[in-house]
Amino acid sequence: MWYFTGGLVLFFFLLQVVSGMLLSFYYVPHVEQAHKSIIEIVTKLNMGWFFRSFHHWGAQLSILTLLVHLFSVLLLKAYRKPRELLWYSGFLLLILFFFFGLSGYLLLWNERSFAAVRVATGGLGAIPLVGNFLKAFLRGGVDVTQDTLVRFYAFHVVVLPIITLLLTAFHLLLVQFHGPSIPLSQEGKKLPQVPFFPYVFLKDVALWLVALGILVTLSTLFPPEIGKKADMLAAPPENIKPEWYFLFVFQTLKLFPGEIMGLNGEVIAVLLVSLAVLFLFLVPYLDKKSADGKRSPFFTAISVLYLGYFLVMTMVGFFS
Amino acid sequence: MKLLLLLNTTSAWAEEKIELFPSTPFYQYIIYENLTLFWLAILGLLVLIRMKLKECERLQKLEFFDEKERH
Repeated sequence: MWYFTGGLVLFFFLLQVVSGMLLSFYYVPHVEQAHKSIIEIVTKLNMGWFFRSFHHWGAQLSILTLLVHLFSVLLLKAYRKPRELLWYSGFLLLILFFFFGLSGYLLLWNERSFAAVRVATGGLGAIPLVGNFLKAFLRGGVDVTQDTLVRFYAFHVVVLPIITLLLTAFHLLLVQFHGPSIPLSQEGKKLPQVPFFPYVFLKDVALWLVALGILVTLSTLFPPEIGKKADMLAAPPENIKPEWYFLFVFQTLKLFPGEIMGLNGEVIAVLLVSLAVLFLFLVPYLDKKSADGKRSPFFTAISVLYLGYFLVMTMVGFFS
Repeated sequence: MKLLLLLNTTSAWAEEKIELFPSTPFYQYIIYENLTLFWLAILGLLVLIRMKLKECERLQKLEFFDEKERH
Protein backbone atom coordinates (compact mmCIF):
# COMPACT_ATOMS: atom_id res chain seq x y z
CA MET A 1 0.00 0.00 0.00
CA TRP A 2 2.76 2.46 1.00
CA TYR A 3 4.44 1.98 -2.39
CA PHE A 4 1.49 3.62 -4.14
CA THR A 5 1.36 6.91 -2.20
CA GLY A 6 4.12 8.46 -4.34
CA GLY A 7 2.25 7.69 -7.56
CA LEU A 8 -0.91 9.10 -6.01
CA VAL A 9 0.84 12.42 -5.26
CA LEU A 10 1.95 12.60 -8.89
CA PHE A 11 -1.62 11.94 -10.04
CA PHE A 12 -3.02 14.70 -7.81
CA PHE A 13 -0.30 17.09 -8.99
CA LEU A 14 -1.24 16.48 -12.64
CA LEU A 15 -4.91 17.09 -11.82
CA GLN A 16 -3.94 20.32 -10.06
CA VAL A 17 -2.03 21.47 -13.16
CA VAL A 18 -5.07 20.89 -15.39
CA SER A 19 -7.66 22.44 -13.04
CA GLY A 20 -5.28 25.32 -12.26
CA MET A 21 -4.88 26.06 -15.97
CA LEU A 22 -8.66 26.26 -16.36
CA LEU A 23 -8.99 28.63 -13.38
CA SER A 24 -6.12 30.84 -14.57
CA PHE A 25 -8.12 31.67 -17.74
CA TYR A 26 -10.54 33.64 -15.58
CA TYR A 27 -8.66 34.64 -12.42
CA VAL A 28 -7.45 38.26 -12.24
CA PRO A 29 -4.43 38.86 -9.92
CA HIS A 30 -5.37 42.36 -8.80
CA VAL A 31 -6.47 43.44 -5.32
CA GLU A 32 -9.65 45.02 -6.69
CA GLN A 33 -10.49 42.18 -9.09
CA ALA A 34 -9.16 38.97 -7.51
CA HIS A 35 -12.05 38.30 -5.13
CA LYS A 36 -14.61 39.43 -7.71
CA SER A 37 -13.13 37.15 -10.37
CA ILE A 38 -13.46 34.15 -8.03
CA ILE A 39 -17.12 35.02 -7.40
CA GLU A 40 -17.62 35.21 -11.17
CA ILE A 41 -15.89 31.85 -11.69
CA VAL A 42 -18.21 30.27 -9.11
CA THR A 43 -21.47 31.96 -10.06
CA LYS A 44 -21.29 32.75 -13.78
CA LEU A 45 -19.12 30.14 -15.45
CA ASN A 46 -20.54 26.81 -16.49
CA MET A 47 -19.21 24.28 -13.94
CA GLY A 48 -16.94 27.02 -12.56
CA TRP A 49 -18.00 26.21 -8.98
CA PHE A 50 -16.97 22.61 -9.56
CA PHE A 51 -13.51 23.33 -10.97
CA ARG A 52 -12.73 25.79 -8.19
CA SER A 53 -13.82 23.22 -5.61
CA PHE A 54 -11.87 20.50 -7.48
CA HIS A 55 -8.69 22.62 -7.31
CA HIS A 56 -9.23 23.33 -3.61
CA TRP A 57 -9.81 19.70 -2.64
CA GLY A 58 -7.06 18.54 -4.97
CA ALA A 59 -4.61 20.72 -3.04
CA GLN A 60 -5.79 19.33 0.31
CA LEU A 61 -5.57 15.72 -0.84
CA SER A 62 -2.19 16.13 -2.57
CA ILE A 63 -0.62 17.55 0.60
CA LEU A 64 -2.28 14.87 2.73
CA THR A 65 -0.98 12.12 0.41
CA LEU A 66 2.45 13.71 0.32
CA LEU A 67 2.60 13.71 4.13
CA VAL A 68 1.50 10.05 4.23
CA HIS A 69 4.23 9.30 1.66
CA LEU A 70 6.84 11.17 3.71
CA PHE A 71 6.02 9.41 6.98
CA SER A 72 5.80 5.99 5.32
CA VAL A 73 9.28 6.52 3.78
CA LEU A 74 10.54 7.73 7.14
CA LEU A 75 9.13 4.81 9.17
CA LEU A 76 10.14 2.14 6.63
CA LYS A 77 13.65 3.68 6.44
CA ALA A 78 13.33 3.86 2.66
CA TYR A 79 15.67 6.87 2.75
CA ARG A 80 18.69 4.72 3.61
CA LYS A 81 21.67 4.29 1.33
CA PRO A 82 21.66 4.38 -1.73
CA ARG A 83 18.35 6.34 -1.77
CA GLU A 84 19.49 9.49 0.03
CA LEU A 85 18.98 11.68 -3.03
CA LEU A 86 15.40 10.40 -3.33
CA TRP A 87 14.74 11.58 0.22
CA TYR A 88 16.36 14.99 -0.33
CA SER A 89 14.48 15.64 -3.59
CA GLY A 90 11.21 14.40 -2.06
CA PHE A 91 11.68 16.64 0.97
CA LEU A 92 12.25 19.65 -1.29
CA LEU A 93 9.09 18.71 -3.17
CA LEU A 94 7.16 18.75 0.12
CA ILE A 95 8.41 22.27 0.88
CA LEU A 96 7.42 23.31 -2.65
CA PHE A 97 3.93 21.87 -2.11
CA PHE A 98 3.59 23.81 1.15
CA PHE A 99 4.58 26.95 -0.70
CA PHE A 100 2.06 26.06 -3.43
CA GLY A 101 -0.57 25.95 -0.69
CA LEU A 102 0.44 29.27 0.85
CA SER A 103 0.67 31.10 -2.47
CA GLY A 104 -2.65 29.68 -3.65
CA TYR A 105 -4.31 30.63 -0.37
CA LEU A 106 -3.44 34.32 -0.84
CA LEU A 107 -4.93 34.29 -4.34
CA LEU A 108 -8.39 33.96 -2.72
CA TRP A 109 -7.79 37.50 -1.43
CA ASN A 110 -10.29 37.11 1.41
CA GLU A 111 -9.80 38.47 4.94
CA ARG A 112 -8.65 35.10 6.34
CA SER A 113 -6.10 34.33 3.62
CA PHE A 114 -4.81 37.91 3.77
CA ALA A 115 -4.29 37.74 7.54
CA ALA A 116 -2.78 34.22 7.37
CA VAL A 117 -0.21 35.23 4.73
CA ARG A 118 0.60 38.37 6.70
CA VAL A 119 1.32 36.21 9.78
CA ALA A 120 3.26 33.57 7.81
CA THR A 121 5.49 36.03 5.96
CA GLY A 122 5.86 38.08 9.17
CA GLY A 123 7.05 34.94 11.00
CA LEU A 124 9.75 34.42 8.37
CA GLY A 125 11.10 37.84 9.32
CA ALA A 126 12.05 36.38 12.72
CA ILE A 127 14.71 34.13 11.15
CA PRO A 128 18.09 35.65 12.01
CA LEU A 129 20.25 37.07 9.18
CA VAL A 130 18.07 36.09 6.19
CA GLY A 131 14.61 36.62 7.71
CA ASN A 132 14.11 40.23 6.69
CA PHE A 133 15.33 39.56 3.18
CA LEU A 134 12.96 36.57 2.81
CA LYS A 135 10.05 38.57 4.17
CA ALA A 136 10.66 41.50 1.81
CA PHE A 137 11.29 39.16 -1.12
CA LEU A 138 8.01 37.29 -0.62
CA ARG A 139 5.95 40.37 0.09
CA GLY A 140 7.53 42.47 -2.63
CA GLY A 141 7.64 45.32 -0.11
CA VAL A 142 7.03 46.14 3.52
CA ASP A 143 3.49 44.74 3.83
CA VAL A 144 1.14 42.36 2.01
CA THR A 145 -0.12 44.42 -0.92
CA GLN A 146 -0.86 44.26 -4.64
CA ASP A 147 2.83 43.49 -5.21
CA THR A 148 2.55 40.43 -2.94
CA LEU A 149 -0.53 39.20 -4.80
CA VAL A 150 1.20 39.46 -8.20
CA ARG A 151 4.36 37.87 -6.80
CA PHE A 152 2.43 34.96 -5.25
CA TYR A 153 0.46 34.53 -8.48
CA ALA A 154 3.73 34.33 -10.44
CA PHE A 155 5.10 31.79 -7.93
CA HIS A 156 1.90 29.76 -8.01
CA VAL A 157 1.39 29.50 -11.77
CA VAL A 158 4.91 29.78 -13.22
CA VAL A 159 7.88 29.47 -10.86
CA LEU A 160 6.69 26.65 -8.59
CA PRO A 161 5.18 24.43 -11.34
CA ILE A 162 8.42 24.59 -13.39
CA ILE A 163 10.66 23.78 -10.40
CA THR A 164 8.23 21.07 -9.25
CA LEU A 165 8.12 19.44 -12.71
CA LEU A 166 11.93 19.38 -12.96
CA LEU A 167 12.36 18.05 -9.44
CA THR A 168 9.60 15.45 -9.95
CA ALA A 169 11.30 14.26 -13.14
CA PHE A 170 14.57 13.91 -11.20
CA HIS A 171 12.76 12.08 -8.36
CA LEU A 172 11.11 9.66 -10.82
CA LEU A 173 14.40 9.02 -12.61
CA LEU A 174 15.94 8.08 -9.27
CA VAL A 175 12.99 5.78 -8.52
CA GLN A 176 13.55 4.08 -11.88
CA PHE A 177 17.27 3.84 -11.24
CA HIS A 178 17.10 2.39 -7.71
CA GLY A 179 13.81 0.50 -7.98
CA PRO A 180 11.39 0.17 -5.04
CA SER A 181 12.89 0.11 -1.56
CA ILE A 182 12.75 -3.13 0.43
CA PRO A 183 12.08 -2.83 4.20
CA LEU A 184 15.01 -3.78 6.46
CA SER A 185 13.05 -6.74 7.86
CA GLN A 186 12.64 -8.19 4.34
CA GLU A 187 16.21 -7.65 3.20
CA GLY A 188 18.07 -10.85 2.22
CA LYS A 189 14.83 -12.80 1.74
CA LYS A 190 13.88 -14.10 -1.69
CA LEU A 191 10.93 -11.92 -2.72
CA PRO A 192 8.74 -12.58 -5.79
CA GLN A 193 9.74 -10.39 -8.75
CA VAL A 194 6.71 -8.47 -10.02
CA PRO A 195 7.06 -6.62 -13.36
CA PHE A 196 5.93 -2.97 -13.36
CA PHE A 197 3.74 -3.47 -16.42
CA PRO A 198 0.94 -4.52 -16.12
CA TYR A 199 0.85 -5.47 -12.39
CA VAL A 200 2.00 -2.36 -10.57
CA PHE A 201 0.68 -0.07 -13.31
CA LEU A 202 -2.84 -1.52 -13.14
CA LYS A 203 -2.88 -1.37 -9.36
CA ASP A 204 -1.74 2.26 -9.61
CA VAL A 205 -4.55 3.02 -12.06
CA ALA A 206 -7.10 1.35 -9.77
CA LEU A 207 -5.99 3.52 -6.86
CA TRP A 208 -6.02 6.64 -9.02
CA LEU A 209 -9.59 5.90 -10.07
CA VAL A 210 -10.72 5.59 -6.45
CA ALA A 211 -8.81 8.79 -5.57
CA LEU A 212 -10.47 10.61 -8.47
CA GLY A 213 -13.85 9.43 -7.26
CA ILE A 214 -13.18 10.69 -3.73
CA LEU A 215 -11.88 14.02 -5.08
CA VAL A 216 -14.92 14.53 -7.34
CA THR A 217 -17.30 13.60 -4.50
CA LEU A 218 -15.67 16.02 -2.06
CA SER A 219 -15.62 18.76 -4.70
CA THR A 220 -19.31 18.26 -5.44
CA LEU A 221 -20.62 17.92 -1.91
CA PHE A 222 -18.37 20.39 -0.08
CA PRO A 223 -17.51 23.40 -2.24
CA PRO A 224 -15.25 25.77 -0.25
CA GLU A 225 -16.45 29.14 0.99
CA ILE A 226 -15.25 32.28 -0.79
CA GLY A 227 -15.15 34.46 2.33
CA LYS A 228 -15.23 38.24 2.67
CA LYS A 229 -12.98 40.34 0.48
CA ALA A 230 -9.70 41.32 2.17
CA ASP A 231 -9.52 44.83 3.54
CA MET A 232 -5.90 45.89 3.89
CA LEU A 233 -6.77 48.55 6.47
CA ALA A 234 -9.15 46.49 8.63
CA ALA A 235 -8.16 44.61 11.79
CA PRO A 236 -7.64 40.86 11.24
CA PRO A 237 -10.69 38.65 12.02
CA GLU A 238 -10.84 36.79 15.34
CA ASN A 239 -9.52 33.24 15.76
CA ILE A 240 -7.46 33.43 12.61
CA LYS A 241 -5.94 30.10 11.57
CA PRO A 242 -3.77 28.98 8.67
CA GLU A 243 -4.55 25.97 6.46
CA TRP A 244 -4.53 22.63 8.35
CA TYR A 245 -1.04 21.62 7.17
CA PHE A 246 0.49 24.72 8.77
CA LEU A 247 -1.37 24.28 12.07
CA PHE A 248 1.46 22.36 13.75
CA VAL A 249 3.85 25.30 13.18
CA PHE A 250 1.17 27.78 14.23
CA GLN A 251 0.50 25.89 17.49
CA THR A 252 4.24 25.58 18.19
CA LEU A 253 4.68 29.34 17.82
CA LYS A 254 1.76 29.86 20.21
CA LEU A 255 3.48 27.72 22.87
CA PHE A 256 6.36 30.17 23.23
CA PRO A 257 6.09 33.28 25.39
CA GLY A 258 6.99 36.70 23.99
CA GLU A 259 10.34 36.75 25.78
CA ILE A 260 12.64 33.96 27.01
CA MET A 261 15.61 35.06 29.16
CA GLY A 262 15.72 38.44 27.46
CA LEU A 263 15.55 36.94 23.98
CA ASN A 264 12.67 37.26 21.54
CA GLY A 265 10.40 34.19 21.98
CA GLU A 266 9.28 34.21 18.34
CA VAL A 267 12.89 34.13 17.10
CA ILE A 268 13.64 31.14 19.36
CA ALA A 269 10.48 29.33 18.24
CA VAL A 270 11.24 29.90 14.53
CA LEU A 271 14.85 28.78 15.07
CA LEU A 272 13.76 25.58 16.85
CA VAL A 273 11.21 24.74 14.12
CA SER A 274 13.88 25.38 11.45
CA LEU A 275 16.34 23.11 13.31
CA ALA A 276 13.72 20.36 13.61
CA VAL A 277 13.01 20.59 9.86
CA LEU A 278 16.76 20.56 9.09
CA PHE A 279 17.21 17.48 11.28
CA LEU A 280 14.44 15.69 9.37
CA PHE A 281 16.00 16.71 6.07
CA LEU A 282 19.38 15.29 7.10
CA VAL A 283 18.01 11.98 8.45
CA PRO A 284 19.66 9.80 5.72
CA TYR A 285 23.02 11.35 6.62
CA LEU A 286 22.53 11.07 10.40
CA ASP A 287 21.08 7.55 10.49
CA LYS A 288 24.35 5.65 10.01
CA LYS A 289 22.99 2.31 11.25
CA SER A 290 20.28 2.12 8.59
CA ALA A 291 22.85 3.07 5.96
CA ASP A 292 24.82 -0.04 6.97
CA GLY A 293 21.69 -2.21 6.76
CA LYS A 294 21.29 -2.49 10.55
CA ARG A 295 18.19 -1.75 12.62
CA SER A 296 18.08 1.72 14.19
CA PRO A 297 15.35 1.88 16.86
CA PHE A 298 16.50 5.37 17.88
CA PHE A 299 15.52 6.82 14.51
CA THR A 300 12.29 4.81 14.49
CA ALA A 301 11.44 6.44 17.83
CA ILE A 302 12.32 9.88 16.44
CA SER A 303 10.12 9.25 13.38
CA VAL A 304 7.19 8.22 15.60
CA LEU A 305 7.80 11.35 17.72
CA TYR A 306 7.68 13.58 14.64
CA LEU A 307 4.49 11.91 13.42
CA GLY A 308 2.87 12.11 16.87
CA TYR A 309 3.82 15.75 17.30
CA PHE A 310 2.46 16.64 13.87
CA LEU A 311 -0.84 14.83 14.49
CA VAL A 312 -1.37 16.14 18.04
CA MET A 313 -0.51 19.76 17.18
CA THR A 314 -2.69 19.67 14.07
CA MET A 315 -5.62 18.33 16.09
CA VAL A 316 -5.11 20.88 18.87
CA GLY A 317 -4.91 23.68 16.32
CA PHE A 318 -7.99 22.42 14.49
CA PHE A 319 -10.24 22.10 17.54
CA SER A 320 -9.01 25.10 19.54
CA MET B 1 -39.21 52.61 9.68
CA LYS B 2 -37.59 49.89 11.81
CA LEU B 3 -39.17 47.25 9.61
CA LEU B 4 -37.78 48.96 6.50
CA LEU B 5 -34.32 49.05 8.05
CA LEU B 6 -34.59 45.37 8.93
CA LEU B 7 -35.71 44.52 5.39
CA ASN B 8 -32.81 46.53 3.97
CA THR B 9 -30.26 44.72 6.12
CA THR B 10 -31.75 41.34 5.27
CA SER B 11 -31.55 42.03 1.55
CA ALA B 12 -27.97 43.29 1.92
CA TRP B 13 -27.06 40.08 3.77
CA ALA B 14 -28.84 38.04 1.13
CA GLU B 15 -26.82 39.79 -1.56
CA GLU B 16 -23.54 38.95 0.19
CA LYS B 17 -24.35 35.26 0.46
CA ILE B 18 -22.79 33.58 -2.56
CA GLU B 19 -24.28 30.38 -3.88
CA LEU B 20 -21.48 27.81 -4.07
CA PHE B 21 -23.68 25.09 -5.50
CA PRO B 22 -26.57 25.27 -8.00
CA SER B 23 -29.68 26.03 -5.94
CA THR B 24 -32.44 24.79 -8.23
CA PRO B 25 -33.64 21.22 -7.51
CA PHE B 26 -33.45 20.37 -11.23
CA TYR B 27 -29.71 21.13 -11.49
CA GLN B 28 -29.04 19.55 -8.11
CA TYR B 29 -30.74 16.36 -9.30
CA ILE B 30 -28.60 16.33 -12.48
CA ILE B 31 -25.42 16.79 -10.43
CA TYR B 32 -26.23 13.98 -7.98
CA GLU B 33 -27.27 11.73 -10.85
CA ASN B 34 -23.96 12.41 -12.65
CA LEU B 35 -22.02 11.73 -9.46
CA THR B 36 -23.73 8.35 -9.09
CA LEU B 37 -23.02 7.49 -12.75
CA PHE B 38 -19.41 8.55 -12.28
CA TRP B 39 -18.99 6.16 -9.34
CA LEU B 40 -20.68 3.35 -11.28
CA ALA B 41 -18.21 3.90 -14.15
CA ILE B 42 -15.29 3.81 -11.68
CA LEU B 43 -16.59 0.59 -10.13
CA GLY B 44 -16.95 -0.92 -13.62
CA LEU B 45 -13.35 -0.02 -14.48
CA LEU B 46 -12.15 -1.45 -11.16
CA VAL B 47 -13.87 -4.75 -11.94
CA LEU B 48 -12.19 -4.78 -15.38
CA ILE B 49 -8.76 -4.10 -13.84
CA ARG B 50 -9.28 -6.88 -11.32
CA MET B 51 -10.23 -9.30 -14.09
CA LYS B 52 -7.15 -8.28 -16.11
CA LEU B 53 -4.85 -8.76 -13.10
CA LYS B 54 -6.30 -12.21 -12.42
CA GLU B 55 -5.77 -13.17 -16.07
CA CYS B 56 -2.16 -11.98 -15.93
CA GLU B 57 -1.55 -14.00 -12.77
CA ARG B 58 -3.05 -17.11 -14.39
CA LEU B 59 -0.86 -16.69 -17.50
CA GLN B 60 2.22 -16.16 -15.36
CA LYS B 61 1.49 -19.36 -13.43
CA LEU B 62 1.10 -21.26 -16.71
CA GLU B 63 4.44 -19.89 -17.99
CA PHE B 64 6.03 -20.84 -14.67
CA PHE B 65 4.80 -24.44 -15.00
CA ASP B 66 5.91 -24.59 -18.68
CA GLU B 67 9.41 -23.52 -17.67
CA LYS B 68 9.46 -26.16 -14.90
CA GLU B 69 8.44 -28.89 -17.35
CA ARG B 70 11.19 -27.82 -19.80
CA HIS B 71 13.79 -28.09 -17.07
